[in-house]
Amino acid sequence: MPKLEVLGEIQRKSMLMWPCLEHDDAPWTPMAKPLSESKVALVTTAGLHVRGDKPFIATQQGGDTSFRVIPRSTGAADIIQSHTSIGFDHTGIYRDLNVTFPIDRLQELVDQGKIGSLSDNYYSYMGALRDVTGIVEDSGPEVARRLKDEGVEVVLLTPT
Amino acid sequence: MLAVPFFFGNALGEPDNPEYQHRILQATFDLLDRNHGPVLEQLPDDMVPDVLVQGSELTASEPETLSAADELTSLRAYYEQWVNAHDGRTAVGLSVIPQRRFRGVVRFIEGYISGEESDIKERPEDVSVPQFIRYCVDDLKAFYYEARMAQRPDGADRDIHDWFWSKTAMGALTMALAQRMRDDDDEAAKAVAYGIAR
Repeated sequence: MPKLEVLGEIQRKSMLMWPCLEHDDAPWTPMAKPLSESKVALVTTAGLHVRGDKPFIATQQGGDTSFRVIPRSTGAADIIQSHTSIGFDHTGIYRDLNVTFPIDRLQELVDQGKIGSLSDNYYSYMGALRDVTGIVEDSGPEVARRLKDEGVEVVLLTPT
Repeated sequence: MLAVPFFFGNALGEPDNPEYQHRILQATFDLLDRNHGPVLEQLPDDMVPDVLVQGSELTASEPETLSAADELTSLRAYYEQWVNAHDGRTAVGLSVIPQRRFRGVVRFIEGYISGEESDIKERPEDVSVPQFIRYCVDDLKAFYYEARMAQRPDGADRDIHDWFWSKTAMGALTMALAQRMRDDDDEAAKAVAYGIAR
């Protein structure tokens, strides 16, 4: 996101007041092997999903904390966005999905030998949530379990 | 975590700039080499992004055409040109209504604004009218923006926002729709209004 001084007053105050969680007890997990030998997954909070999948819902109190599975085989033409916020510029992602969800860039890194492999599935949440309880208690652990089951070692998180 | 200075919606810097996107990814993956955490580093690039303007910040002028439906039809060839040039990729699709039936979507929205019991047969039973309107509006915006990007390939993003909100009948219709939803007694409609226009 831009530096706070770049934002307008309303958006700056909104960011400063945003109910973020802090996890002082999050364990540090050093890399067990180089990235070039690791399996990488992509997880985003950009409200993306496969075309025809259930869109995220704008009216859910606190925000929609569900997740969507985006199989890695899904082409850019079949990934769309149902983000509830209009506080960001959609033009970038209209032009190029990779500016938020870098599916082509990750494949290129695999082809270059910089990443070992990619997971079969990527995952997507809605961003701009005011209440993340549903992610902390339900959808977060569920996606973590799926990633572990798939042998994922590194997750690239991209925001809206 | 790598903090980047880009505006929301552009996490990897710039669309259609693979080289720069790889720079951002490299800087991100470099953080994996740190020996202890938490890691929070700032991308050294110092840039000031364009900040998105909302519809209410722009002064609407007389639309170039009188009817949103006719205006939409006049942009169809540009929209299809965009889709063809991008291997079928389009941000249109949330409502699942084919773009060639968007004139019906415009009538649906115009009916809603005028206070009719407006509905559209494509709305799934488990999706409320206000929520479905949101999906329709997102589709119409995407249709217009993609048509404009085909029409003006070198146009700046800021110019597209200016054009949509101050020069088009659809921009005016979208602002009127948001006001109608804000004025509604239904809390679900009020909640959706904020994501239509402000």
